[in-house]
Amino acid sequence: MRSLWQWLLPTCVIAGANQAQANGWNMPVGVTDISRDIYGLHMTIFWVCVAIGLLVFGVMFYSLFRYRHSKGAKAAEFHEHTSVEVLWTAIPVLILVGMAVPATATLKNMYDTSEADLDVMIIGQQWRWRYEYLGEDVAFNSNMSTPWEQIRGEAARGEHYLLEVDEPLVLPINRKIRFLMTSDDVIHSWWVPDLAVKQDTIPGFINENWVQINEPGIYRGQCAELCGVNHGFMPIVVHAVEEDEFEIWLAERKEAAEQEAMGVDREWELDELMARGEPVYRAICASCHQAEGQGAPPAFPALANNAQLIDDLDWHIDRIVNGVSGTAMPAFRSTLNPVEIAAVVTYTRNAWGGDTGDAVQPASIAEKIVQ
Amino acid sequence: MAPKLPPQHPLQHSTTAAADGQADHAHHASPKGIMRWLLTTNHKEIGSLYLIFSLIMFFIGGIFALVVRAELFQPGLQLIEPEFFNQMTTMHGLIMVFAAVMPAFTGLANWMIPLQIGAPDMALPRLNNFSFWLLPVAFTLLLSTLFMPGGGPNFGWTFYAPLSTTYAPPSTTFFILALHIAGVSSILGAINIVATILNMRAPGMRMMDMPLFVWTWLITAFLLIAVMPVLAGVITMMLMDINFGTSFFDAAGGGDPVLFQHLFWFFGHPEVYIMILPAFGIVSAIIPTFARKRLFGYASMVYATAAIALLSFLVWAHHMFVVGLPLAAELFFMYSTMLIAVPTGVKVFNWVTTLFRGSISFEPPMLFALAFVVLFTIGGFSGLMLAIAPADFQYHDTYFVVAHFHYVLVPGAIFAIMAGVYYWLPKWTGHYPHERLAQCHFWCSIVGVNLTFFPMHFAGLAGMPRRIPDYALQFADFNLVSSIGAFFFGISQLIFVLVIVLCVRGGRKAPAQAWEGAEDLEWSVPSPAPLHTFETPPVFHRSHHGD
Amino acid sequence: MWSIIQSVLAALIGVQKDRKRQQDFASEKPLGFIVAAILVTLIFVLILILVANIAAG
Ligand code: HEM
Ligand SMILES: [Cu+2]
Ligand SMILES: [Cu+2]
Repeated sequence: MRSLWQWLLPTCVIAGANQAQANGWNMPVGVTDISRDIYGLHMTIFWVCVAIGLLVFGVMFYSLFRYRHSKGAKAAEFHEHTSVEVLWTAIPVLILVGMAVPATATLKNMYDTSEADLDVMIIGQQWRWRYEYLGEDVAFNSNMSTPWEQIRGEAARGEHYLLEVDEPLVLPINRKIRFLMTSDDVIHSWWVPDLAVKQDTIPGFINENWVQINEPGIYRGQCAELCGVNHGFMPIVVHAVEEDEFEIWLAERKEAAEQEAMGVDREWELDELMARGEPVYRAICASCHQAEGQGAPPAFPALANNAQLIDDLDWHIDRIVNGVSGTAMPAFRSTLNPVEIAAVVTYTRNAWGGDTGDAVQPASIAEKIVQ
Repeated sequence: MAPKLPPQHPLQHSTTAAADGQADHAHHASPKGIMRWLLTTNHKEIGSLYLIFSLIMFFIGGIFALVVRAELFQPGLQLIEPEFFNQMTTMHGLIMVFAAVMPAFTGLANWMIPLQIGAPDMALPRLNNFSFWLLPVAFTLLLSTLFMPGGGPNFGWTFYAPLSTTYAPPSTTFFILALHIAGVSSILGAINIVATILNMRAPGMRMMDMPLFVWTWLITAFLLIAVMPVLAGVITMMLMDINFGTSFFDAAGGGDPVLFQHLFWFFGHPEVYIMILPAFGIVSAIIPTFARKRLFGYASMVYATAAIALLSFLVWAHHMFVVGLPLAAELFFMYSTMLIAVPTGVKVFNWVTTLFRGSISFEPPMLFALAFVVLFTIGGFSGLMLAIAPADFQYHDTYFVVAHFHYVLVPGAIFAIMAGVYYWLPKWTGHYPHERLAQCHFWCSIVGVNLTFFPMHFAGLAGMPRRIPDYALQFADFNLVSSIGAFFFGISQLIFVLVIVLCVRGGRKAPAQAWEGAEDLEWSVPSPAPLHTFETPPVFHRSHHGD
Repeated sequence: MWSIIQSVLAALIGVQKDRKRQQDFASEKPLGFIVAAILVTLIFVLILILVANIAAG
């Protein structure tokens, strides 16, 4: 039994010694006031547990050692002592009340989403995040950028393996940012440890949370709620930048969005659409329908050599624009823009030996979306 | 409720089993071979069936866990696909909770409750047979889903909707049926236990004279009867959503996915107490025996257990701190969770004080009971940390939670079951378990369990979510250690099987009173306990609890 | 009556004297205890709701 004891002590010491910054053993202190408060609560309750543990296990191991039958110990007779029992009930209650007070204060602060400077909508989707800067006409999807070759061990793993994305969420420091969080399919949970924000995104509900980041930097996190086969592969990257830098970034994004919108009205060539469609397919569709369109029946039908899809263009477009209710196939009418939908439809009709030659035009998709 | 008429003639009470058993000897031979086990109404045989079933399921669930740990041994996907990984984590959880831990406790109850209260059998022997045989049906069905098109359940043992409804594999309907059958089995088993305890105690044994194992099981049985129907309700709603077009949990149809979680955890939190209260009872029998001293605060323990059972209905949403509950609700559930932790913690003080100034020896059951006290307490500590709602925003759905509930369930519930098995094996088989091998099993288990689960605290705090098939590089060391520990722990359990097999086949002969300090009624019948015991009710002397 | 409530409150904090236990179990009628326990639990819930609402402000 004593070896157990020897286990516990170094453990406590290690945990204590690791109080410093996020060095990989303990909760990160983080970069918001709330994350610091939470870290404080965490360490306080941790030390309370250590103290109680030392006391209880101390008495226990002392007794085990001192009152051994083999050493001729004779058992005492006592079997109750009300005042001791009341005392050892009352003291933990008082300690817990002592913990509840600061915990309540922190929680109230976390729930105070009023007077935000900026609203960002966070939408969970199988298996990516979508960010919409409300009132700014800026919105984009954020997909994991770690290549599957690395996951399969066919390529060397990078420093930020599984925690890197194609487009990070960019946020200004020193401003109160409110998150409005929801989901298009199943429940996800948006979690960035350094920001101490973890909030479920639930279809049909909008949850609120907020941050005010104190230091510029890159903060990484992951989806925390099991959300299906690629739950482990929907990371979050937050880029916290100075406020003026943020304004510049936002202006650039707005302009790019306008450019994209203009693309809807012009005529697109097949090659152009194919080139545009391939990355969209890889980022959005391949996680279910697989890289070569072979699907994973019965849950995810094949797209390659799918007769119905090839024969019926309207049906094909309808699946993508409106989704298939009651299945895992979401409606993409608000997540992808008309150019992207046209491109990905074109791509799936022509890749993998489909060769229909159809060049679906963004303008026609835009019409369907309006309907 | 309690018998107005003390049960003077147990033979009349125990309708078929005991009476038939006696008659059988004279007239015709009882069925042989497989039929004997299919038709048995004897509490000892049914108890053994439960225990053997649970041991088999423990290994099946364990193999699933090792598949998971093997994949997590290092970063990257090496062995299995994420889809199968999800099926493995889900099946591991479901099998361990519903097919290993719960049936093991029911098995111990079947064997020991009649012996501890001086009853000839369970009150409803045929129902008892039925409750057991539902289980192999339920879990064969559940396991068979792994071979169905689209695979088995892959949405975690908590099966949150809509992942488990709209987005679930086609086999989910079978999963629901399997869980329904297992639930019926639990409810029937619980009814039987309540009926037995309330009606079949030896003359002169009052409620207050009952050993704590009987007490804790009585309260557990009421919990089961209260919450299993809630589980049945929630899976029926899933069934309707999947097959009959309702939208209880489908937001698109006006339903509410959060409602699922409220219902699930209203069942789920009492469920965790169902898995720990009988463990408290076992440990409360073993520690006094080997400390040769009365349990400190028996009265407090009984009252606190009853209170915990009631209050366990008030804390369910501590599993839902990040779903976006209103502030007042978060505070309510934080406060109630913290308050309930106190009576749970106080039990630990009682055990430690029982040891204090005792006369302690370290036979195998005692080793496991002592390890239970220490390691369960560590799980209690992390529970206390999780109860702090703001901090839970960081802990929730990480490996920290995984570490917490494995500490309370593996070196908690499962060590208590093993302690109970070592404690009562002499009564079951007439032989002492092989001491050296049992010690070896103990030390391997201790090392394995800590190696597996302690690093999970660090992985969780450092930011590793649970239920992911692959992880970022900074979590590699923790996972490596956990995986090594898991294989070590898993293989060590073969020693347990070896000890049991050897003990059944032979070993040092045990007297009726197998352990010097043991006091309850089961030690008054011979070892091994004959098939029929207490056919004439024993005279109960109030030596121990009352005086 | 008061004795029953006392016992239920004792259960709530998880501390009880053996002598009191003897008294409680002298009669084998649990109904009073069950009713009292449920009532006390309800009151406990109400108080906790009140406290939570006050704390939430
Ligand atoms: C000191 C008493 C305890 C407290 C305060 C406590 C508290 C908690 C809290 C707050 C959570 C939710 C954590 C989260 O998901 O973020 C949790 C999870 C859990 N606890 Fe405990 N707990 C205690 C004892 C126990 C016991 C005795 C058991 C079972 C024997 C248990 C089993 C579980 C399980 C299975 C889960 C996780 C379920 C899941 O999400 O899969 N806990 N506990
Ligand atoms: Cu997700
Ligand atoms: Cu709980």
